[in-house]
Amino acid sequence: MLVPVLAIGGLGVVAVMGVVAAFIITGWLGQPIPVLGFEQTFDQPIDFPHTIHASLKELDHVAADGQTMEGLGQDCTFCHRTVTTQANAGIPPVAFCASCHQVIGAEDNDQLMILRDAADIVGDDGPSPVNWRRVHRLPDHVRFVHEPHIRYLTANPSEVTNSTDGVTEGPSGVCSTCHGNVAAMQQVEQVESLKMGQCVDCHRDNGAPTDCAACHY
Amino acid sequence: MTTAEFGTHKWGMVVDVDKCIGCNACVIACQAENNIPINTQDRVERARSISWIRVERYWEGDFPDAKARFIPIMCQHCENAPCEPVCPVYATYHNSEGMNVQVYNRCVGTRYCANGCPYIVRFFNYWEPVWPESLRNHLNPDVTVRSRGIMEKCSFCVHRIRRESRNARSAGVEIADGAVQTACSSACPTSALNFGNFNDPDSKVSKMKEDKRHYTLLDQFGTDPNVIYLAKIDADKKVGAGEAATHG
Repeated sequence: MLVPVLAIGGLGVVAVMGVVAAFIITGWLGQPIPVLGFEQTFDQPIDFPHTIHASLKELDHVAADGQTMEGLGQDCTFCHRTVTTQANAGIPPVAFCASCHQVIGAEDNDQLMILRDAADIVGDDGPSPVNWRRVHRLPDHVRFVHEPHIRYLTANPSEVTNSTDGVTEGPSGVCSTCHGNVAAMQQVEQVESLKMGQCVDCHRDNGAPTDCAACHY
Repeated sequence: MTTAEFGTHKWGMVVDVDKCIGCNACVIACQAENNIPINTQDRVERARSISWIRVERYWEGDFPDAKARFIPIMCQHCENAPCEPVCPVYATYHNSEGMNVQVYNRCVGTRYCANGCPYIVRFFNYWEPVWPESLRNHLNPDVTVRSRGIMEKCSFCVHRIRRESRNARSAGVEIADGAVQTACSSACPTSALNFGNFNDPDSKVSKMKEDKRHYTLLDQFGTDPNVIYLAKIDADKKVGAGEAATHG
């Protein structure tokens, strides 16, 4: 197979070996290479800080008036309402954000003004959705449902890995198993590979079905 | 053992041919439920249409006394399936729920399985599936859209089984008999198609398949299907189970 390449000379062999090595290394690591466009995080249309909303600790962030801030410690399910009952965790509608933020937050906060514009509190172009970019994406041939995973991990806190600011119980704590400590993320990024190997490992350890048709159909 | 545990069921179907009126509601329901591309005239003429379930029609007798016979045919989910051993990548196999499973992401499109299947119920995607713009948002989000080069077939509406077993586990109960209905069986106006659990001796399908009219398609191949047919009752002549088995 390498014969035609060898005929070109040593450079060709090096090039082929390089490509093969690159394939093996990327395959071995099983992690997408960020330079190829598979980033683990995105800039969102609004710099939504999970820290302020979900953190249970004092934040590095200092408020405009110079006071230190503490995270609100909101439960994940406060905004991601369908996560305990349905397949999708759910992104809250703009109106839901606005129910707090039409009052809360400084007038000159430009990120909040984007939200208020989308919610039609300011501006006159009518309400419009925020085009959040999806960070945790599974391939189309995988059927992932949040509900049974949340249910199982809530009942078995010992299986929870990572933690949400030290909490591993309740609907907020268990999310960290796959999503990492989102409460400490200024910008959400994917921390686990979420590849099939990881799914199968966990399913095997916890006696969940490893049949292909459990997820692929 | 928890309730509704995976692998404790043996899903199967009982088709009462006597009740089938050939209305094709099951075919339409299946096409809509399972994101099957529209079979255009061009595709049908090239014998490349996809139809996970079809209603075959047979004429019996000559004109004045002609009788139409209908028989719905879908993947028989054979216990001893000819499609399974021929797959080089293990993309189709029999799972612990009694279903013949097609794993789309494993399939490499050799089409050996379709050649092996005596029921002609496996279909190959010769093209990327496309829908008219007006139907783009009508796709079922629970079912994978199969891309070009993938073999597909009736899945016994596995997504509905998953949904119902999830609901049952969530509520801490067993899956009730009749809770899981495939798209075709829920669409059937005469209840000719019946879906259920053969492992439960009290289920509707388990009782139905004890009927002396029962037979399986192409019994002589020994595929041991999980789809059981109940023979047509004809007032004019006596039809036994053996005679019915040669029909079709």
